[in-house]
Amino acid sequence: MLTLVAIFVLFPVYYMITLSLRSQSSLWSKSTLLPVDSNLDNYRAAFENTDFKRALLNSVIVCGTATAIAVLFSVMAAYSLVILKFKGRDTLGRIIIIAFLTPGALLFIPLAVIMANIGLSNSLQGLILVYLSFMVPLGTYLLIGFFRSLPPELEEAARIDGASRLQALWMVLLPLVAPGLVSVAIITFTGAYNELLYSLVINISPEMRTVPVAILNLSVADEVPWGRTMAFSSIAALPVMAIYFVGQRFVVEGLQTGSVKG
Amino acid sequence: MVVKVGTQKEIASKKREGLFAPTNLFGYFMILPAMSVLFFFFAYPLTFEIWTSLTDATLGNDAKFVGVDNYLKLFADPEFLTAAKNSVVYVSFVQAGKFILGLGIAILLHQKLVARGFWRAVVLVPYAMPGFVAFMVWKLIYNPDVGALNIFLTKTGITDVPIAFLGDRTWAMASVIFATIWRGFPFWAIMFLAALQAVPKELYEAAAVDGANAWHRFRNISLPGIRPVILIVFMLSTINTINSFEAIWLTTAGGPSDATVILPVFAYKGLATFQIGESAAAALSMVPVAIVIAIFLLNKLKKD
Repeated sequence: MLTLVAIFVLFPVYYMITLSLRSQSSLWSKSTLLPVDSNLDNYRAAFENTDFKRALLNSVIVCGTATAIAVLFSVMAAYSLVILKFKGRDTLGRIIIIAFLTPGALLFIPLAVIMANIGLSNSLQGLILVYLSFMVPLGTYLLIGFFRSLPPELEEAARIDGASRLQALWMVLLPLVAPGLVSVAIITFTGAYNELLYSLVINISPEMRTVPVAILNLSVADEVPWGRTMAFSSIAALPVMAIYFVGQRFVVEGLQTGSVKG
Repeated sequence: MVVKVGTQKEIASKKREGLFAPTNLFGYFMILPAMSVLFFFFAYPLTFEIWTSLTDATLGNDAKFVGVDNYLKLFADPEFLTAAKNSVVYVSFVQAGKFILGLGIAILLHQKLVARGFWRAVVLVPYAMPGFVAFMVWKLIYNPDVGALNIFLTKTGITDVPIAFLGDRTWAMASVIFATIWRGFPFWAIMFLAALQAVPKELYEAAAVDGANAWHRFRNISLPGIRPVILIVFMLSTINTINSFEAIWLTTAGGPSDATVILPVFAYKGLATFQIGESAAAALSMVPVAIVIAIFLLNKLKKD
């Protein structure tokens, strides 16, 4: 039974990799599911393709920067919502949950118009700002779960020992929610890296494209160069999947803490 | 709760319990960055979109207020009605599929005692794969000329003529639904597995002593035990699925002849033809669904 599950789950990955190693003419002449005519030509083409290399760099810059900012803002917000008792806390918490629950496809139109109006279309900065709109609520939501799972007396104890609020956060709370930070970083980074719609409507010029748009643009009309598309896709997917598996423990913990305890 | 004797300073701050009391100020300071992001890139665009949906805005032209005209136009537009109907069909079948597959695989993994970590990693693969890659690969698998599914079907003699799974009205919707389930079920499986493992073992032992069979134990112990998780996973995933622009855009782009067009795709195509006012109205028509789900989740979270 589990073998069947494994075939179902792994076959598309297998097919992506075998096809990425074949030329278009080989695909047409030999219809087989087995790896035949394998060579690295498509990968060579990817590394010679300046547009694609540019897109990879753009994606890394946008997602890396946005993740760093999102983690920082989310920690501050989650800490303040869980640990600090201030007026209006419930309302602000609710606003964050509403933003978290809003489908991204709802706001792509006004965001595209607003970015054009303030001159940030076709720029990496614009995309970073737009990505923060879903990364910050997501990160805050997940981290609220992590902060809630800490014993509430902890902060108080640190304060009684003479630590200031910031010292208590930095030296006592943050080390304890460190797994949460890793999981939020991985989840928000991959969320941004996988994003297609905003990238499609906000960064139109070729030199500002991110990876998903670059791969989509390999096809001309209905003609998809399959071998090449799969090679580019493998290059785009395998590092991210590797991060996922190395950090699997954190991802799973993040999803569970956020959804169950949050 | 520790009862402390208030110092002079604390008593003083108690007196100033307004918005500007030090604890309040520090709280606002810490949440300010997140709130600024939400103000500029959530609240403002949302307001802007609601306003736009009430105007005849097209790209480059000044918008004139037209009331609910765009909404009336939408509800008379057959393509919009198809998109709305398709969205409901798509989301319902995808969610049903993810639930069945997710729960089934969670139960399988729960019973597996050896190498569970390894199998959990295997099940996570589709979720770890970037969506845009996953849907390109499924487009390839469904391809009539070089796709794995057609190679398999013709080689085994199940069909003589290759099927254009994404180009044929009969198959297109079912095909994109299947691909979306593949990509999304791991989240459900992993969450359900964790929930199953959190159900106290003594309950099963006690039930076994009382002579309950496997189905009864599942029905009366496992299912109620994981119910809260089912609810939350269901809601979070439903919002994601309403949002599945890429699943459709990368595979069928809404075709053949609107057979798989869903609301985000409809709105995107509207934007591409510069009908901003109408597209905004179309995008906003996703809100009622999202609100129902959001209220559900908020109440759930409050209870806990």
